[in-house]
Amino acid sequence: MATETVPAVFHPRAVGEIASPRLAERRIGWLYGGTGLALFAAMGLAGLAMRLTQAEVLTLSPSWFYRLMTLHGAGMLVGALMSMMGALWYVLRATVPLSLERMLAAYGAIVSGVVAVTVSVVVGGFAAGWTFLSPLPFWAVAEWDTWATVVFLVGMMLVGAGAMIFFVDLLATTSATYGGLRRALGVEYLRGRDHDPPPPQAIAAAVVSFAGLCAGAAGTTVLAALLGRAADAEAQLDALWAKNLTYFFGHTLANLSIYIAAGALYVLVPRFAGRPWKTTKPIVVAWLATLLIVMFAYSHHLYMDFVQPGVLQYVSLTASFAAVLPVAVVTIFTAMLLTWGSRYRWTLASTLVFLGFAGWAIGGVGAVIDSLIPVNLFFHNTLWVVAHFHTYLMLGVILWAIALVAYLLEQAAGRAARASRAGPAVALMLLGGYGLVGVWFLSGMLGLPRRYALHPAESGYSLVASVFVLVFAVGFLLLLAELVWLARAARATGADRSRTAPPEWPAPVPREPTPVLASVRQRQAALVLAGLAVLNFLPFAGNAGEDDVRLHHLVHAGQFLCGLLLGLVVASTPALVRRLRLDLPGAALTGVIAAPALMMLAMVPAMYEPLEDSAALHAAYHVGIGLLGVVTGLGAGRLGAVAGRLLAVLAVGMGLLYAAGVTGA
Amino acid sequence: VELEYGRQQVVAGIVFAVLVLLIVAFLVVVWRNTRRDLPLERVQGVGYAFRKRWLAFLAAALVVAVGSAALLAPYPGGAAGERTVVKVASGQFFFTFDPPRVPAGTRVRFEITSVDVNHGVGLYSPGGRLMASVQAMPGYANKLDLTLREPGRYPVLCLEYCGLNHHLMQGAFEVTPS
Repeated sequence: MATETVPAVFHPRAVGEIASPRLAERRIGWLYGGTGLALFAAMGLAGLAMRLTQAEVLTLSPSWFYRLMTLHGAGMLVGALMSMMGALWYVLRATVPLSLERMLAAYGAIVSGVVAVTVSVVVGGFAAGWTFLSPLPFWAVAEWDTWATVVFLVGMMLVGAGAMIFFVDLLATTSATYGGLRRALGVEYLRGRDHDPPPPQAIAAAVVSFAGLCAGAAGTTVLAALLGRAADAEAQLDALWAKNLTYFFGHTLANLSIYIAAGALYVLVPRFAGRPWKTTKPIVVAWLATLLIVMFAYSHHLYMDFVQPGVLQYVSLTASFAAVLPVAVVTIFTAMLLTWGSRYRWTLASTLVFLGFAGWAIGGVGAVIDSLIPVNLFFHNTLWVVAHFHTYLMLGVILWAIALVAYLLEQAAGRAARASRAGPAVALMLLGGYGLVGVWFLSGMLGLPRRYALHPAESGYSLVASVFVLVFAVGFLLLLAELVWLARAARATGADRSRTAPPEWPAPVPREPTPVLASVRQRQAALVLAGLAVLNFLPFAGNAGEDDVRLHHLVHAGQFLCGLLLGLVVASTPALVRRLRLDLPGAALTGVIAAPALMMLAMVPAMYEPLEDSAALHAAYHVGIGLLGVVTGLGAGRLGAVAGRLLAVLAVGMGLLYAAGVTGA
Repeated sequence: VELEYGRQQVVAGIVFAVLVLLIVAFLVVVWRNTRRDLPLERVQGVGYAFRKRWLAFLAAALVVAVGSAALLAPYPGGAAGERTVVKVASGQFFFTFDPPRVPAGTRVRFEITSVDVNHGVGLYSPGGRLMASVQAMPGYANKLDLTLREPGRYPVLCLEYCGLNHHLMQGAFEVTPS
């Protein structure tokens, strides 16, 4: 293996361990890191305009204030996610043969989604917030048209689809590389059956991809249901159901951006500390706990919805507090141990990495305090909430996103950024950032509501906050100038060796995916189940759902399940795969993500009710639902045992969830 | 609406500030020690021993914090009983209260719902202290039990984004001298 030869930016002890990145890794790092920074800058300006309006310096109309609020929330969430996706991909691909094509497809989907959201907000006037809580998108009081709502929802769906493409590849490839999900998660190592565990970044990848796919499925479900509502006013959604899915989607993805970052930090910190970050049993336990925590914490967004089932409230209470343990006892603690007494190599990238831990810890404490139900009674939807998530996103994730770009540049230039320039820039960002969140914490204690275009009691606080935002912006611009200087230095010295050099170590070879239904017996069992699900196509099933929309949709979900099982059987039978030529590039992934969404979109009463007058069309419609299931099954069946099974379960779950939540007129 | 800091909020803020100071102090100590050159085994030996106690402390904190939070959760159980039920309806962009006023000292059960989109009922004391924040959701009624002892006008602000006049959505609940 060729090794990196730029000791100026790495710890001398780590130099011999670092493989030079290939062109693909560098390009993805740049693409995702650069897009993330561009989004942060644009959305930061939107944030500044909002603060100046609240400070009564600018006079944005409420319409524009709330449009910018919608854009700022969605854009920052996507920026954080993209930056960290790029960082994890960059470090993980040294050992896991992640697909470049899939990563580019994910990029295309996410950026298309961002464009759609921007058009709906800027041109269409959509301003229901990134949370798009049902039924607000349809109560616009003539401020935006249905087309704007539709474009926004499609945009968010594309973002979700892009994230899912990334997570599918991450889960399928990581689990295939390390011999199954249990090995990839470190469970076998924990049980003493595996003496060569995967590196911690692979364990992190398995966890975030599993949770990310669940979040993506939930988001697709609620977005499809909202699109159905846009097409047909009779397709009413249960508000509590919609809120649960929206926050499971949005909160979990935002939360995951930090955990994705943690995966990248497992690789980057040792390069500055000169000490390896090895997989240990506490790390495995921490990540298994994190998987549960990430899946259940979202419900704290519904603490003040007293009708939310109590079990979810108390599980969320426990999960939200328990989130401290893996972070404080394992990840941050180990990072500090690795840097302590290490003669840590201080560069711009490594400094931002270190400072990001502070934002994560401080923001996390603010979050944990608010996550206690009796405290939340006094802080829910006040500026305290805004304060805590800005602390770990603005002063954690954004610093890490800049660190990724700085890392790429410092490595390419073979030298660190100039401390005399970067130091003051970072100091200004810290002053501005912590000043801003400090004002928000105080405002939250005062009971000031969040998401207010204007509040007389707020203007003084917002004026101070605006000054801090400007200080942060100046620091950010100075830092960008230093990054440009680094880029020029890299070009001048020709140190960017990977542009011209061939791959410096053999690319890991993707493995043939394990069939989802590996044995004949499993395929037989699936066929039996499919045979039972065929009952959903019989007239009595259709009649049973005649008067009840939910039951009617449940029958459709049963038809989809039938098709899905048949698809899985076909895709798991090697002879049929060869004969039917099922290995079209990208087809499996496209099918497994698009078909369930189409299944739900087809379940809009306005679409199927006109067909019910004709027996032939009615039957064709049901066969169509079944065929979408077949497509999903064929796709899932080609994505390996781990990702394929999860996606099949999620697709069926989406149908069932849709049936549960869409109530009809 | 004039606002003032509430006691609970100030206590939470002080706890937060103390914890932030401890985090910053810890990171500064780590930062100063990054310049030293120590064998990893020695650092790990001390660190892992400390980590066990740190884990035990946080686990104990989890049990205490989560346990007491669960016990003190504001979710009402059972029927209203002797409480006076006040039905709160919210909509773009108003609140209505039925009855609109109660005598001081009344044990109230607010039943909060929405006629259109999600709203939030932020109930402030006559002095402007946020006393409770409860969501108003279409199709559901959230129930909040409170005893309002202080006579006066209790302002209500919307605490869930509900449309372009969200920031103007206000109401008030009256508590008359008993």
